[in-house]
Amino acid sequence: MKLAVVGKGGVGKTTTAAVLARTLARDGGTVVALDCDTNPNLGISLGIGDDETERLIGLRQSLDDGTQEHAPSWDSLIDVFGSDAPGGVRLAVVSAMDKPEPGCPCCGLSPEQLLRTVAFDEQTVIADFEAGIGTLTRLEAGAVDVIVLVVAPTAKSIEVARRAAELVAEKQLGRLVVLGNQVRDDADRALITAAFGEPDVACVPHDERIADADRRGVAPFDVAPDADAVLAIAALAGTLRATA
Amino acid sequence: MRVAFVGKGGAGKSAIAGVIARLLARDGEDVLAVDSDPMPGLSVSLGLGVVESAIPADAVTEKAAGEPGPRFRLRQGLTATEAIDRYALLAPDGVRFLQFGKTRASAAPLMRSQWAFRQILDGLPPETPTVIGDLPGGTRQPFLGWAGYADTVVVVVPPTSAGMLSARRLAKLATTGPTTDTGPSRILAVVSQARDDADVERIRQRTGLDVIGSVPWDERVLAAEREGRSVLDTAPDSAVVAALTALAERLAPQRAAQRQAALADFPGGGA
Ligand SMILES: Nc1ncnc2c1ncn2[C@@H]1O[C@H](COP(=O)(O)OP(=O)(O)O)[C@@H](O)[C@H]1O
Ligand SMILES: Nc1ncnc2c1ncn2[C@@H]1O[C@H](COP(=O)(O)OP(=O)(O)O)[C@@H](O)[C@H]1O
Ligand SMILES: [Mg+2]
Ligand SMILES: [Mg+2]
Repeated sequence: MKLAVVGKGGVGKTTTAAVLARTLARDGGTVVALDCDTNPNLGISLGIGDDETERLIGLRQSLDDGTQEHAPSWDSLIDVFGSDAPGGVRLAVVSAMDKPEPGCPCCGLSPEQLLRTVAFDEQTVIADFEAGIGTLTRLEAGAVDVIVLVVAPTAKSIEVARRAAELVAEKQLGRLVVLGNQVRDDADRALITAAFGEPDVACVPHDERIADADRRGVAPFDVAPDADAVLAIAALAGTLRATA
Repeated sequence: MRVAFVGKGGAGKSAIAGVIARLLARDGEDVLAVDSDPMPGLSVSLGLGVVESAIPADAVTEKAAGEPGPRFRLRQGLTATEAIDRYALLAPDGVRFLQFGKTRASAAPLMRSQWAFRQILDGLPPETPTVIGDLPGGTRQPFLGWAGYADTVVVVVPPTSAGMLSARRLAKLATTGPTTDTGPSRILAVVSQARDDADVERIRQRTGLDVIGSVPWDERVLAAEREGRSVLDTAPDSAVVAALTALAERLAPQRAAQRQAALADFPGGGA
């Protein structure tokens, strides 16, 4: 199963991707988490810490500026540009950083091409996309199975999510799962369900324990496994696995 | 003054830029608010709602093969100032709002609109208008030519590890980025969504940046966002608006001083 997590900046893509990855790994899958953001920070939410997250950024940057050699194959790419996160999740940073083109300066592979060309076999792949819809405009049908569209109860994020949903439908990019995040009350829930026309949009509550984990730079899955928001994302992981 | 707000996606760039633009305009400044994020943001924070308009493709013409210079230029006879008069929308408090357009699945590509947008910003006369720019989130796009007009870069930093990591990278890119030709003369930081004073101190220490303001976390910002309105209209007396008012003054201290002086000159004015 290959999942892409998309949405406006700040809606909770990285939080969602990290909790999904940790939950699916705990429940027995082999999970690869791909940080496809050109401003990567999935490592922090997965629980590898600030320093290791920064080390991975440094490695990708040295690739961009030519002081680090590219890995010749996908396997070695996740060796060289990856790190073992807690719970058995393998994290790899796969976006170019400061170059105008999103592709890797060596092999030319952008995150969306990687998703399309690499055979991940039985592994579960969770790709945390860059904010906005840029990567979706370049993604091809078949590259991922499921698109988890994270949306917060704000006018801006719903507008971005609408555009993303249009692209997913038009290009037939995969199964669309809308996840309402940072939901505080019924009005929030109603705003999101009204925008997507489905009464059963999965919702994750606004949860101060998530915000607190992020301030401390630790994984919500480690420090607040019983937080309502973590449990809600874990429930989505269960649904996704059951319907894969 | 030409300011570019940068920061991690969701940091609060649009929320801050929108209010600052309106506060400066209330002070009588000629303010141009510019949105170079391909996703909707600044128009909502200004109180205009979602705006779909784009700069039309015919605002620029393509250079002939072999001709030197940029690939597209504003069409013959169209100056940057005229282009603003034509293509900017009027936002509350007299702010003028310019965006190149917004990406959409079935819409035409925005390349020509983006060229026009950049040519307009490059062609502005030196003093006015004051420009308040909302840049794309993250670290890659802001310095690929989008912040060239800015004399001041303000890094918006939420008090999270990811926010501070982004801020450190942005501060570095603002000075060494691949396409900053001149570079801004000031790089400052604003704490966004602060929960307490310790957040401010932590950000000062961990980014090494000059922190010139702190905007508290406040439910009312979210409440306004839910309706697609500005917190300046829904909660003018909130601590958030007070913090942003202080920030506007710190960004442009000369102006604050001028206003004080003007008040003092005015019979019955002053303190
Ligand atoms: N359910 C939630 N409750 C409270 N805060 C949340 C929730 N989800 C995300 N956040 C906060 O929102 C911010 C952005 O989340 P993040 O996952 O980094 O978003 P993105 O990857 O979409 O930019 C973080 O500071 C995080 O703590
Ligand atoms: N001071 C604040 N208190 C509470 N929420 C805030 C604050 N500033 C921003 N937000 C919320 O955070 C989200 C992202 O803000 P936005 O200005 O759109 O960020 P950016 O433009 O940096 O992506 C919005 O939902 C907004 O309501
Ligand atoms: Mg993220
Ligand atoms: Mg924005």
